[in-house]
Amino acid sequence: MLSVLIWLPIFAAAIIALLPGNISANRVRLGALFASGTVLLWNLFLLLKFDINNPGMQLQEYLPWNETLGLSYQLGVDGLSILLLILNGLLTWIAIYSSSQQTERPRLFYSLVLLVSGGVAGAFLAENLLLFFLFYELELIPFYLLISIWGGQRRAYAGIKFLIYTAVSGALILASFLGIVWVTGSSSFNYDALSTQTLSATLQIILLVGIILGFGIKIPLVPLHTWLPDAYVEASAPIAILLGGVLAKLGTYGILRFGMALFPDAWSTLAPSLAIWGAVSAMYGAVTAIAQKDIKRMVAYSSIGHMGYILLAAAASTPLALVGAVAQMISHGIILAILFHLVGVVEAKVGTRELDVLNGLMNPIRGLPLTSALLVLGGMASAGIPGMTGFISEFIVFQGSFSVFPLPTLLCVVATGLTAVYFVILLNRTCFGKLDNNLAYYPRVLWHEKMPALVLAALILFLGVQPTWLVRWAEPTTTAMVATIPPIEKAVTQQVALK
Amino acid sequence: MDFANVASQLNAGTILPEGIVVLTLLGVLIVDLILGRNSSRWIGYLAIAGLLASIVALYFEWDNANPLFFAGAFNGDNLSIVFRGIVALSAAVTILMSIRYVEQSGTALAEFIAILLTATLGGMFLSGASELVMIFVSLETLSISSYLLTGYTKRDPRSNEAALKYLLIGAASTAVFLYGVSLLYGLSGGQTELNAIANGIASANLSQSLGIVIALVFAIAGVGFKISAAPFHQWTPDVYEGAPTPVIAFLSVGSKAAGFALAIRLLTTVFPLVAEEWKFVFTALAVLSMVLGNVVALAQTSMKRMLAYSSIAQAGFVMIGLIADTQAGYASMIFYLLVYLFMNLCGFTCVILFSLRTGTDQIAEYSGLYQKDPLLTLGLSISLLSLGGIPPLAGFFGKIYLFWAGWQAGLYWLVLLGLITSVVSIYYYIRVVKMMVVKEPQEMSDAVKNYPEISWNLPGFRPLQVGLITTLIATSIAGILSNPLFTLANNSVTDIPTLQAKTVDSTQVSAISTEQTDRP
Repeated sequence: MLSVLIWLPIFAAAIIALLPGNISANRVRLGALFASGTVLLWNLFLLLKFDINNPGMQLQEYLPWNETLGLSYQLGVDGLSILLLILNGLLTWIAIYSSSQQTERPRLFYSLVLLVSGGVAGAFLAENLLLFFLFYELELIPFYLLISIWGGQRRAYAGIKFLIYTAVSGALILASFLGIVWVTGSSSFNYDALSTQTLSATLQIILLVGIILGFGIKIPLVPLHTWLPDAYVEASAPIAILLGGVLAKLGTYGILRFGMALFPDAWSTLAPSLAIWGAVSAMYGAVTAIAQKDIKRMVAYSSIGHMGYILLAAAASTPLALVGAVAQMISHGIILAILFHLVGVVEAKVGTRELDVLNGLMNPIRGLPLTSALLVLGGMASAGIPGMTGFISEFIVFQGSFSVFPLPTLLCVVATGLTAVYFVILLNRTCFGKLDNNLAYYPRVLWHEKMPALVLAALILFLGVQPTWLVRWAEPTTTAMVATIPPIEKAVTQQVALK
Repeated sequence: MDFANVASQLNAGTILPEGIVVLTLLGVLIVDLILGRNSSRWIGYLAIAGLLASIVALYFEWDNANPLFFAGAFNGDNLSIVFRGIVALSAAVTILMSIRYVEQSGTALAEFIAILLTATLGGMFLSGASELVMIFVSLETLSISSYLLTGYTKRDPRSNEAALKYLLIGAASTAVFLYGVSLLYGLSGGQTELNAIANGIASANLSQSLGIVIALVFAIAGVGFKISAAPFHQWTPDVYEGAPTPVIAFLSVGSKAAGFALAIRLLTTVFPLVAEEWKFVFTALAVLSMVLGNVVALAQTSMKRMLAYSSIAQAGFVMIGLIADTQAGYASMIFYLLVYLFMNLCGFTCVILFSLRTGTDQIAEYSGLYQKDPLLTLGLSISLLSLGGIPPLAGFFGKIYLFWAGWQAGLYWLVLLGLITSVVSIYYYIRVVKMMVVKEPQEMSDAVKNYPEISWNLPGFRPLQVGLITTLIATSIAGILSNPLFTLANNSVTDIPTLQAKTVDSTQVSAISTEQTDRP
């Protein structure tokens, strides 16, 4: 059942790579679209099979693989991962859909995208630490190639930077995994066989810090984020959607699954600093985005800000906050996808991403009215305007975290305000104002180019009005996870409150 | 002593695989003598058939109850069988590569193969040698053949220079090794057999004496030269650049495997009492090799030099398993050497193919290759990424096992350094992949612009293709389907008495973790 999610895209990738060379790019694209559509349908089918009330792993699969290494092929899905899998399926489909019909070297492009999709699904499904790492590292080379072959001007630099940062992140994670398994005396890397309860506090904190730093590069958290603006900006629109929408979730998922759930005691010790870190990350992302002159760069920094909330919520680790964290992962994935898609459309039609050059796209006849309307909607969703999914998840995060960490939560609320500031700047400079009469002869935006944005916009509005559909899947699992975290933070809360 | 007794002590069946290699070697020489240059059409296949027959013979030697041959001079246990197999296999693939390369350089193939088979013989005997004179003779057989092979293309000044340099450094390190060996002979009171030396040293209470440490260091200098561990690595880049490419393919795999076999046998049998000392020395060598090999490889512009530094670094990774000094550590070394055989030979096959078609080794000249030669691009990319440790290729599993074994043995800093330097290594491996795959058609290099039509029908190209595809498939799937190889590597070390006591006790581990728990 679950294996289909991994192997169907990988087999499709292999078939596409082996197609004869004279097939046109568009037909390869349609083939990839068909494959990823099947995967998406299979994802939805799994959602139907998913038992919401069961907090544990479901639909498990097990095959022995390599006893000597403690590596087994063990898959499972729970409330934490089921929506992320669907997000992965959806965004892969959208990324393929929104790719150009004249992509150069189409066979390589689409097979790499499908390979990445299968690898990400494998990482979300893996119940064995080494298997997770294998799928995690599997993203490295395909993404490097996707950035550095089909990217913008400085793609070579951005690609190498992404590669090295991610490789370092992998090394940290592997070191922590080896450490966890060896010091606990376990003979295998199976997730459910591990228990860190017997370890000394110092050891737990060291291992947890290794995991947080490793995944913090991927999320990314603030001092570790410098690969992100380059990689997001230089990547083409479909790849940016995958990078921001899916790959960043691998980091937050890793922190929740392998940091919080494996080290509940150390987690509660580190939680106050993590909350501050998350708040600083959110503030930094917002403030830096204000200063940008390039719309893609702005969206990239907005991503850093939004991932900060997830860390805050995870640090608070109340049942509500954790549901909010999962909801925020999904919302951020959808919102970032729509923004990157629309920015890609604007760049393709107008030919620039500069805030100082863009103007008046709202113009109903000669501008790009529907695109700019959707851009306004995406910006509002990102800034946390009620009625859209961004508001729901941020509100749950803040409500869940405030009782534990009031000050960082307030900082994050301020950051949401600043998010609204830079999105207003962005929308003001691009959508409003007057068109430059000398430059404004933009090509039409065809219907199929708007389609992904319309689907995503509908999803944003639907989940914003009917948020149960967003949160109900994760609730039992997150409640069970929180139950293991000792409530040490209360003392800290009082100190903060007294100040 | 009657004849039957002598014959039973001889136990000549143990060296049947080497016997086959000797026969093949003689066959190659005689056929060439009779038929001359005409023989070169099929003489390579004769040699390969001989080597494969020798590997089959090795298979039947497995789990030999009475492995000692010639009164203890040669040990045919499972450990030596695995290493002899690695050496023979690397020689077989090297012959596949060299048929066209040697022909194109205008030199005789039969002599080349004969010297290569002699080197193989030396390496195979070295893998099982358990007596000082035997070790020295087989080591020198391997070394002298390597010098000859290095300078085989004698019209090329770089090949000449490499051979001279290799000979000078090699002879010096052999002399140092011989001095260490003679010290051992004296310290043990006149023993040459390794077990007897160990007993002699133990009974004479010399365990910590200065003489033993000197002998150890001198022996390590000889071994370090063979496995090209920094700081004994300086010959590697020059020899790899100057020597014919198939030769360095053999030197980087077969010769290195033989060196590691010697290291394991010598250190675990003779020097168990000074284990702390040799572990310390090898830790230093491993750190130096990983750092130097990986960092200097970043700056190379020639493919062969880059692979030379990368092979120094890979030796550093393998040494982690040796320093761990556990059964898992030795098994991980053997597993890594096995997968290293596939990936390195695959890489060298691609380098040979490229230089046969374009005549250059510069990394910059590879740019834009994906358009002209997809198979070569795929092969070189897969082998380099596997060397860099990218999943799901063979090298990833090899490195994971090495690091896992090192971590189990408590070598945290060494494993961390290994992880960091693997990140560094990914950069220079990916640089070549970037040249081949990422570069645009308009950025294509001159060599690739004038790339000849791909044809496998020219004489000697078919075996290259066979070698490339075999090693490519092995590199791609030996990681995912690694269980048989893991079993092989583990079985080869479990029954070796000198490695027996080194199993990490699981009770001891839990004791450590409880101790850590108790700490405030």
